[in-house]
Amino acid sequence: MKVGVLVFPGTNSEDETVRAVQAAGVVAHLVHWSTDPAAAGDFDAYILPGGFAYEDRIRAGAVAAHDKLMDVVIAGAQAGKLVLGICNGAQVLLETGLVPGTGPIRRPSAAFAPNAAGGRFRSVRVYARPVGDRARSPFLAALSGEPITMWASHGDGRLVASAVELQAIESGDHIAFVYTDERGRATDAAIPNGSALGVAGLINARGNVLALMPHPERDSWVFQHRDGPEKLAAMNDTQAMLAPSGGSEIFTAFARALGATSAAR
Amino acid sequence: MIARFAVSLTIPDNAAYTALVALRHLGVDVDRIERSDLFEFEGSFDVGELESTIRTIETIFNPNKHRLELRPGAEPLPGEVWIGERDEPVATSSRVTVAGRILAGVQSLRRASAWRLFSGGRTADSATVGHAVDSLLCNTAFQRALYDSRTSTDAAHA
Repeated sequence: MKVGVLVFPGTNSEDETVRAVQAAGVVAHLVHWSTDPAAAGDFDAYILPGGFAYEDRIRAGAVAAHDKLMDVVIAGAQAGKLVLGICNGAQVLLETGLVPGTGPIRRPSAAFAPNAAGGRFRSVRVYARPVGDRARSPFLAALSGEPITMWASHGDGRLVASAVELQAIESGDHIAFVYTDERGRATDAAIPNGSALGVAGLINARGNVLALMPHPERDSWVFQHRDGPEKLAAMNDTQAMLAPSGGSEIFTAFARALGATSAAR
Repeated sequence: MIARFAVSLTIPDNAAYTALVALRHLGVDVDRIERSDLFEFEGSFDVGELESTIRTIETIFNPNKHRLELRPGAEPLPGEVWIGERDEPVATSSRVTVAGRILAGVQSLRRASAWRLFSGGRTADSATVGHAVDSLLCNTAFQRALYDSRTSTDAAHA
């Protein structure tokens, strides 16, 4: 099994993402925007990493959503392949309409729009936990259900949609992750961007396409932590520095789900 | 009173070029695009003083690469669409600030992006602008598009 990690002009988190996937035991390759779409179809799953695809021109994710590589991703998603979008990748997935998937393709029904407070960029370690019946998605089913540490690092992470659409998102079980405090309690203070319903991640009805705003690959090893007791204790201990951190659970779950979905397809 | 200023690039506009290429890819009949950032100020102020202040706020206006124009009308130009956030939090206060600068007399500020499309050497017609709006320029989940005396996307969220 192998995962294609898409790279558009302006993507900037592809290397960490590949490493995090490989640490979970799955082969991952970079798939650049210039790749022949026919060759890009030869993957079992796709990850759209963070960054600023096409410099976020027009708006975050808008141009990448129409890239020819996304035709391949859309076809793969419709065939049941796993697709994970992280941060800018999540914005792209919403622009394609794959997530929440309540409307036609490339007619977005929701968006990760500029953060509250004037679109101010925020970079902060957050907790997010999966919500709802995790059995609805092989990806969510492979998670422990506990809050996971990740880095919210974005200027456009506020879920917005019409009231009708938000209701459809809630009633359709499209909310995959909400921001929480470290004990897993969903509080207003835990939301870094004013996101509607405290949403950190959305998933489609089939459960195979996940759009996740915070970055798990930026909290996958202890060495990525800010200086603090845990990191200081690991100083001069390579193994301790390379120990997995919270976000690695996302990639472990992705690997498990990939095995399950590939066997089923 | 209301004053609208448009800030556009005097150097090549890569974002406009990207939009041009993307729209052509999507089948929109367009051969040139001009883009500008719109700032709509409301309050009691001297327009000349406000313009002078804006010219000193480098995050909005860089004289080495920007053009600043006062837009007299309340509507887009022919071939133009204004894209703004549907529920943009309008800055309303007796002390509206931009990049930390107090704008004297300004009580509210709204922002939008203006895209002006040209087709066949002329300003694009309403149908072409509408095609561009629907296919790429506007995400109706959080944006509204104003063109040709219409707010095109309100119906979707009525």
